[in-house]
Parts: sequence; structure tokens; C-alpha cells
Amino acid sequence: MKKALLLLAFSFSLFTFTSCVKEDYYDNSKQGNYEALWRIMNEHYCFFDYKKQELGVDWDEIHARYAYKINESMTNAQLFEVLCNMLAELQDGHVNLSAPFDFGRNWSFYEDYPENYNDSIAKLYLGHNYQIASGLKYIILDDNIGYVRCESFESGIGDGNVSVMLQNMASCKGLIIDVRGNGGGQLDKARTLASHFTNERLLVGYVSHKTDKGRSDFSSPKAEYLDPASDGIRWQKPVVVLTNRAVYSAANDFVKCIKLCPNVTIMGDKTGGGSGMPFNRELPNGWTVRYSAVVYFDKDMHHTEFGIEPDIPLSFSGADLAQKKDTYIEQARTFLGNKSHL
Amino acid sequence: MAVVLLLSLCAHGQDSTFNSELSTLNCQLNKEVLHSSMIGVGFSNILDTYLSSYNYKGTDIRVQRETMRMTNLWKGHVANQSLIDFHVDINKNRTRNIKEYAGGIRYAQGWYYNFMGGNVVNPVERSHTRFNFAVGLSASGYLGVVYINRSGNNPAQAKADLMLNVGGLATYDMVIAHHHYLWRYQVTFPLIGIAFSPDYGQSYYEAFVTEHYSRNVVFAYPGNMPSMHHKLTLDIPIKRYTLRVGYVAQIDQSLFNHLKYHSYSHDFMIGFNKYLYRR
Repeated sequence: MKKALLLLAFSFSLFTFTSCVKEDYYDNSKQGNYEALWRIMNEHYCFFDYKKQELGVDWDEIHARYAYKINESMTNAQLFEVLCNMLAELQDGHVNLSAPFDFGRNWSFYEDYPENYNDSIAKLYLGHNYQIASGLKYIILDDNIGYVRCESFESGIGDGNVSVMLQNMASCKGLIIDVRGNGGGQLDKARTLASHFTNERLLVGYVSHKTDKGRSDFSSPKAEYLDPASDGIRWQKPVVVLTNRAVYSAANDFVKCIKLCPNVTIMGDKTGGGSGMPFNRELPNGWTVRYSAVVYFDKDMHHTEFGIEPDIPLSFSGADLAQKKDTYIEQARTFLGNKSHL
Repeated sequence: MAVVLLLSLCAHGQDSTFNSELSTLNCQLNKEVLHSSMIGVGFSNILDTYLSSYNYKGTDIRVQRETMRMTNLWKGHVANQSLIDFHVDINKNRTRNIKEYAGGIRYAQGWYYNFMGGNVVNPVERSHTRFNFAVGLSASGYLGVVYINRSGNNPAQAKADLMLNVGGLATYDMVIAHHHYLWRYQVTFPLIGIAFSPDYGQSYYEAFVTEHYSRNVVFAYPGNMPSMHHKLTLDIPIKRYTLRVGYVAQIDQSLFNHLKYHSYSHDFMIGFNKYLYRR
């Protein structure tokens, strides 16, 4: 009996020791860091299939092409440049490499396009007497149209903040929500704001995450809904949302959701996109890589990774600029003014 | 609850005089409770591929509180052990520029059968042999967290499991100059149970805000959770108290949803134990 028990304990110990769950080790060398980065992206990045279809990205071919540029005599700055160039092939603003001396990025989603926003001119509309509700700056313009400047979804926007703001602008005949330049933040804050513009539950999209290392290993898409705000005020009058190419990530999701709400019109330029939820990892040398990890589709199962088209496209007018006027805001005011006369 | 069970077992009448006397003796012995409290510090090595592809190494701080007593089960041959194990880990990555904090608490309740009429609770006074050993089963629950201090949507990982474990206890009473020095060794292997794990690329926002659950409760067995816990202690009598020094090795591993996890810790422990007699 004793021997049998000792044998059992020995077997368990042997099994556990031989079943070690180990890291996939990479040297902290130039080659090791290069291979580690390629592999992290290969196993975790969520848009390979889509980027291959849209951009012809072949991650295996990229490995071969950039491996040729790696050697142990290169400096860290040179390695950083090569790695960033490799990542830039994905054309994803959520893909970044962070080192102590630089932040690698591909921001071509807005840098290659007109900004369609002038901060100095936009500030003239807010003046000095605007109010701030948890990061949302708002004021009632002369023609009784409410103007809300939403620069980011990083701040803790809650139902209470939004309701107070809407209450203060309840007499307005329309509302402008200006999200130009909004690079994102917290997804739930974006949806909290959007939830005050619908009275019904709306299917806004689907979400899918990776289930294994394969580039096509994804969970079945799960429907996502926007529920009407249960606390506070829900806006019932016309709304214009102003967008440009710098609307990205959570702000892109906000546009995706609010576009489905009644009485809402998207005006401006196409958004920048960024529909993947980013995760972070680090390389053997301690540099941090950020990458899109979870895919968010729109309600028709289409990607919004490269942006959302506006309902009414607009471009900045040189004449308006000369008169220190914001073409987008002026067009929105005209649109809302006409709507209120209908 | 165990105390209630014990008292109810004691309360049942026995037919024969011998059994009655034995029962009375057992009840008296069962009121003898060994309490042990230990604190330790040691080495920690954590890999959690949901958070990072690489090991984080550093310091593990551990506190253990253990209670043992004999029961009336199986003619008084079964010892009961309850164990609370709390640990905090502070680790860094290979290049030591990113910190990781981990911590958790495990509660286990186990029943061990003593062979050869032994007594692993108080072998020095209650056993006729120097060497005693017992084997048995325990049920345990663990709650923990691993956090890495870099921003992002995957900064932390929750750990939780409910397991049935198999294990063994052995004691050796070493006498030097009429003093009893008690060696005690315990090994535990998680056998079957359930554990929490996010899916391979699932975000916590997805799981808990939008309630998109995906393989988040997994069946655990040695094939995907090959783990073991070792504890070796030496009891050194000092007047009315007993100093306990020891070594604890916690080898926790899992491979759920293609996510690798290991938490290896090796701690040197020190504390006191005391036998109390309950009324």
C-alpha cells in the first residue's frame, strides 16, 4: 500500500515537472526582438485577413523582406526604424511601438488628408462662457443651436453629465456634436453619450475576438446593442455630428452608433477608423507594442477599420477661413436651421 | 461546519463498551487542535500569456494559517486540515522596465486518512511510531489577480478556480537530546475542478460589459492544469511554544484557451504553532 502511494505521488510529481508550461523564449538580440515582434503580431493581430483583402498585406512575405534588414551590428535606433516600418505596412493607427526614445506609429489615416478643423476658429464659437460637463464643452450659439465640443472619450462621461448638458440646451432647436480630432478613449463612454439619442434598443454591430494563434481563428460574431439611456434625458430634436479624418477608435465607434439614431446626421469628412480594440505586449528588450486585438463590425458585418462615410460630405472653404468661420459648423447651423422650419 | 459534523458524530451512541470508550477517547483527542501561522518570503516567477509573452520574476510574500485536528471519521483515523494561503508577488520583466503585481488567496479544507494507526496532527504525543503518514482529498478555492503596470485594454488578469485535490502528509519525529524535532512534509496535486479564464484574445470589456462570454469557465484536470504544492517544515520546541520553519513551493500551471500560465514560488517560511484544547 505504502509503495503504491509513493509511486502515485512520484508519478504525479514527474507528470507535473515534465508538463512545464514555459514561455517561448527569445534572445534580447536584434534578431530575437525582430522575431518576437513578428510572432506577437502573427499570433494576436486581428486584421490580417482584412488587410490582405484591402491592402494586399502578406505577413509571411513581410517577414522575409524585413528579416534581410536585421543584423546584430545595427543600433537600437536603426532596429526601431526597421520594426516600425514593418508595422507600418499594416496601416493601422492602433499599431504602435514604444521605446524610451520614440513612439512608432502610422498616422496616415489623418495625416494624409485635409484636417478640416481649425482649433483657433472653433474656439471662437465656444468663446469664454462655455460650460464643461466632464470634458464635454458646450454653449448655445446665437441662432439657438446648441454646440457641443467633444475632444476625447478619455474623461469619465456619465449619464448625469450628459443629462445636465442636454437639460441646459433643452430650448435649442438643434444640436451640433463636434467630434473632429477626437482620437478615442473609453468605448463605454462613447456609447454612454450615444445612448441619449435613441428611444429604442438598436443593433449597432458585432464583436469577435481571436480564439487561437491562427490568423483566421475567431469567435463567432456576437451582436452588440445600444440601449437607450435609462437615466436622465434623451434628446428628441435634430442632431448633426461633425467628423473628420482624425476621428478614431472609440470616437469612430461613437459615430458608428449615433449614425443609427433617429434625427442624427453625420456631416464632414470620412472618419479615420480604428475598429480594433488594442492590446499591449512587450518585446524581450522591454519595448512595448500595441496592436488591434478584437474586431468590431458595424450592423451589416462590415469593417469600419478604415473609417465611416458621412451622410453629407463637406470640405473646408478658403473663403470661410479668411472670414474666421468654420465651414463645418456654419453648414451644420444652416442644415439644422432649415430642419427646424420644416 | 466541520466542528458541527464532528460533534454530531461524537454524539451518536455506540453499542459496545469498547466502542464507547474509544469514542470518548477520540472525542477528547478531537478537541486537540493544532494551529499554525507562518509568514515567508521567496522567489516568484509568473508567466501569463494573456498579459505578456514572457516571464516576470521577483519576490513572493506568503502568509499561511493552518488548523489540523483528528476527526471521528473512519474509526478516528482521519485528520482534518483547513488551510488559508495568501500571497503577494512583485515582479519585473527581463529588462526590468515593467512591473507586475500579483496576489491571491486560497482556502482549502482537506481530510487525510492516517495509516498504521498514526496521527499526523500530534505525532509526538499521540503516535507510537516515529514516522507517520496520511493521504486524502481536499477541496480548495482560489481567487487572485495579476496586474502589469502598462496601459492598454489587457492590463490585468483575474484568476479563480474551485478544485478537488489529492495529497499526502508525512511526519518524522526526530529526537535529539530528549527534544522532539518534528519534520512535516505535505504535497498536494489539483485533480479536477473548474477554473475561470478569458478566451485567447477576449477583452475583459467584452466579457463583463457586453457580456460576451466565451469559454470563460473551463474544466480543469492535470492535463491542462499540471500543478502541485509542496510544504516541508521543521517544528522546534521552545519552552511552551513551538517554532516552525519551513519551505513552501507552489507550482501552479495552466493551459486554458491556448493561454499559458505559470506561477512558481519558492518561499522560506517562519512561524509558530500551538496545540490548543477546545472545551
